[in-house]
Amino acid sequence: MAKIKNKKKLEKFDIVSNIFIFLFALLNLFPLYWLFTSSLKNSSDVVKMPPDWWPTSITFSNYMDIFRDQPALKWAFNSMYVSGLSTIIVISIGSMAAYAFSKIEFKGRNVIYIVFVSSLMIPKEIMIVPLFRIIQDFGMVNTYNGMIWPNVAAAFGVFLLKGFFDTTPAALREAARIDGASEWKIFTRIMLPIIKPGIGALFILNFVQVWNDYLWQLVVGQEKGMKTLMVGTATLMQDLNPNFAYKMAGATVAAIPMLVIFLLFQRFFTSGMTAGAVKE
Amino acid sequence: MKLLRNSYVKENITGYLFILPQMLVFLAFLVYPILEGIRLSLYRINYESEKFVGLDNYATLFNDPVFFKALFNTIVFVVFIVILTVGFALFVASAVFDKNAKYVSFIRGSYYVPVMVSMVVMSMVWSFLLNPANGLISYLSRDIGLGNVNLLGNQKTVLPVIIFVTFATNVGQAIILYIAAMIGVSKDLFEAAEIDGASRWQVIRKILIPSVGPSTTYITIINIIAVLKIFVVIQLLTGGGPNNSSVTLMYYLYNNAFKYNQLGVASAVGVIMFIVTLLLSVPQLRSMVKDK
Repeated sequence: MAKIKNKKKLEKFDIVSNIFIFLFALLNLFPLYWLFTSSLKNSSDVVKMPPDWWPTSITFSNYMDIFRDQPALKWAFNSMYVSGLSTIIVISIGSMAAYAFSKIEFKGRNVIYIVFVSSLMIPKEIMIVPLFRIIQDFGMVNTYNGMIWPNVAAAFGVFLLKGFFDTTPAALREAARIDGASEWKIFTRIMLPIIKPGIGALFILNFVQVWNDYLWQLVVGQEKGMKTLMVGTATLMQDLNPNFAYKMAGATVAAIPMLVIFLLFQRFFTSGMTAGAVKE
Repeated sequence: MKLLRNSYVKENITGYLFILPQMLVFLAFLVYPILEGIRLSLYRINYESEKFVGLDNYATLFNDPVFFKALFNTIVFVVFIVILTVGFALFVASAVFDKNAKYVSFIRGSYYVPVMVSMVVMSMVWSFLLNPANGLISYLSRDIGLGNVNLLGNQKTVLPVIIFVTFATNVGQAIILYIAAMIGVSKDLFEAAEIDGASRWQVIRKILIPSVGPSTTYITIINIIAVLKIFVVIQLLTGGGPNNSSVTLMYYLYNNAFKYNQLGVASAVGVIMFIVTLLLSVPQLRSMVKDK
């Protein structure tokens, strides 16, 4: 299709649109360019007028200051731990439930599934007051548990993985049962390996979502050492250090892990997001 | 007969056991907080003491001009950001989807990168760019003779700026979804249109946009719900100012809960937002259920 189109002359409307889209894409990337280059300037260059479009003298002192003055490594570890563990739990309990909804005939299956799926649309942020009190009662303020559990409550994993289980043939399960395999064995040995791409997509999407979560982690992680990278970085906005390059270095540190993940796993984003969207 | 009955019971039990872990977390951290939130919205809460006050918290809300400001701003954000996002993403995807694969992936990537690095990071950069004293945008405006501008400190410009920043940061997700949907549209339709000598604009309007209708519903709803809880950009760029002119429902809720210790009032805001979200998601839920 693309080839046929390319051979034919492109319409003027099409060319103008694409030039605009291309330029706007560059413009959209500019703030990130500015973020990165500013973080390499010294405290006076960064606010110089007229500005240096390229940093004239590159310094890494802002990064050194971030890692010296702030527990940035601890924040990064916290983010890694909370996002990783949340995602592993989402995959474990979500895949079990998704399998049941897809393959096992039990009473009330459809009604329960609809209730689960309707939870997808409700952001946990609007229940932040009761949720915080519950976490408080459990003694989970300033703990990883407090950050993790509310993130696994919504049935996103169930919804996404059910779509993948639905595409596997029912005959597979029947055959394994005749051979005397238990349901658990069928699930772990036969079905889970088949839906590996779905698990991959869910891992990436959920990891990124928890990593970039802000409001809930802000409320739960109140001690400086218990903040996640996003929340910790945002505190630099109110930091006494007036150096803009220092703040930009902090923001760059927060941006890099997700940029790397995106470049490495780009295809999972497309496949996972469209699996979660509407099928036609 | 007995064997059949036995296997039916067993199938049921297996099913329930498989959904049990998810069900427990769902009940503890989602259903229970919703019910508790509704209850708290009817109480006045002072640290350990709770006093039933009926609808007093809701009355407080409806007598607070800041609440109406927050409600109004949230509606403005939802309407403008969602229209911009859906419109622009449709435009980008329909112009790009049938081009060379490298180009498609460049466009997709460059619009999606801001989504990835998160609203926190993007808000920090924009707050630097928009800083009236030494931000790049203020410099450029002085340079072209517009004089000093303080876009975030001006009640007239603060909303459009937040709309633009939020839109530019998040539009990438809609673009990815639309490109994927458009690549999936049957090639026969385009070939037929080509034979009929349709222009590209006609193809887009008559074939492409109707074909991706379900994606449009999905994108619209997830964006409405995402903008409804808009918070980060407000906290980091304006703090709700100047003079409450950029306060939103979520920011209002957060301040009531964690700054003014008005937990009952904050819960009432949460309940109102919960009802709105639920109503908005009905069409999407319907299509998801039908889909099954």
